[in-house]
Amino acid sequence: MRRLLNDILAPEALQIAFQPVVELIGDRMQLHMLECLTRGPHNTNAARADVMFEYVRRKRVEPTVDRACILLGLHAAASLPGTPDLSFNTHASTLGRDPEFPALVVSMADNVGIDPSRITIEIIEHAHGWDGATFDRALRTLRSLGARIALDDVGLGHSNYQMMIDTHPQYMKLDRYFVHGAHADLDRRAVLESVAQLSRKLGARVVAEGVEDTRDLAPLSDAGIDLAQGYLFARPLSAPDLIASGWLQPSARIAAPARPLAAFPA
Amino acid sequence: MAHILIVDDEEAILFAMGQYIMAQGCTVDTARELEEAQALLSNIRYHLVVADLRLSGIHGSEGLDLVGMVRECCPSTRVIVLTAYGSAEMQQEAIRRGADAVLHKSMPLAEVADHAMRLLGCAA
Repeated sequence: MRRLLNDILAPEALQIAFQPVVELIGDRMQLHMLECLTRGPHNTNAARADVMFEYVRRKRVEPTVDRACILLGLHAAASLPGTPDLSFNTHASTLGRDPEFPALVVSMADNVGIDPSRITIEIIEHAHGWDGATFDRALRTLRSLGARIALDDVGLGHSNYQMMIDTHPQYMKLDRYFVHGAHADLDRRAVLESVAQLSRKLGARVVAEGVEDTRDLAPLSDAGIDLAQGYLFARPLSAPDLIASGWLQPSARIAAPARPLAAFPA
Repeated sequence: MAHILIVDDEEAILFAMGQYIMAQGCTVDTARELEEAQALLSNIRYHLVVADLRLSGIHGSEGLDLVGMVRECCPSTRVIVLTAYGSAEMQQEAIRRGADAVLHKSMPLAEVADHAMRLLGCAA
């Protein structure tokens, strides 16, 4: 029987895209880093990222697929001009079950000429069930090699206070659930402000995910959140489209958009 | 338009049943493995799931796991379990877990599709 995992791990099956994380500076913005995103092969159920990663978790093959995603992402990133910082999603279970993972990431980065200090590992977590000591060691190793740590989907599920304490992230990526519509929702604004304040105390920066509406920029600014990501700024772009978009031009500082963009104007 | 998930580890069954059901005006997703079906059910709402009882897994009754998952995560979704070898006890267990119908795999696909449409009519 043909299994979906074989389709996912087939040569050149995974699709890589990059989505800018922008730093908002007044009414201007500049690229802060690129999140490397992976989609499964076309014409399979894994073409939807949510389905692919749920399948991967249920098959308990997160380390295998995370390795493949990062390897392909690093190769794609190596073709980009300049030296943009890069973030890669990694399951907490991978860090907790694959002791060789941190060294392997650094080795793969070295092989394509990417300094580990440009890399942020975004921890996505869905359920416990790994070795805590291995997880802690992986984080220490990654940090000692120069990589940074981000906690993804903050506010949802297992990305909770315990994970903030356990991972000491440099970035907390606040889920779009709390960002979208914040301009008209006092409860969401309260969460933004609370997470921003907590992050400052923990020495982390907040990235607001899923920003699609210019009206949601004001509550971000009010909360002191200056990093953001979403369709308002740029959709996930292939490496050639990203190069053509203008995002990677040196010292590019661009006016913040007045409305959502299909792609960043060159 | 009804959205239907068909789960079977036999490619030919997936294809043929998909054709029958799409001919009724439904959209169809297919899955060959328990985990693939579970991943779809975690992210997509279906009106009906048609699942083989045996999906090349360890215990040979993975379809029962799917019935339980559907009842837990999307109670309004209808479920048909197909079985070639299932005992009477297994069929009763499928019904107990919440399957709307247990059909024998030897049943002509046109009749399975008719069952599916009748169930969807009940659900409407």
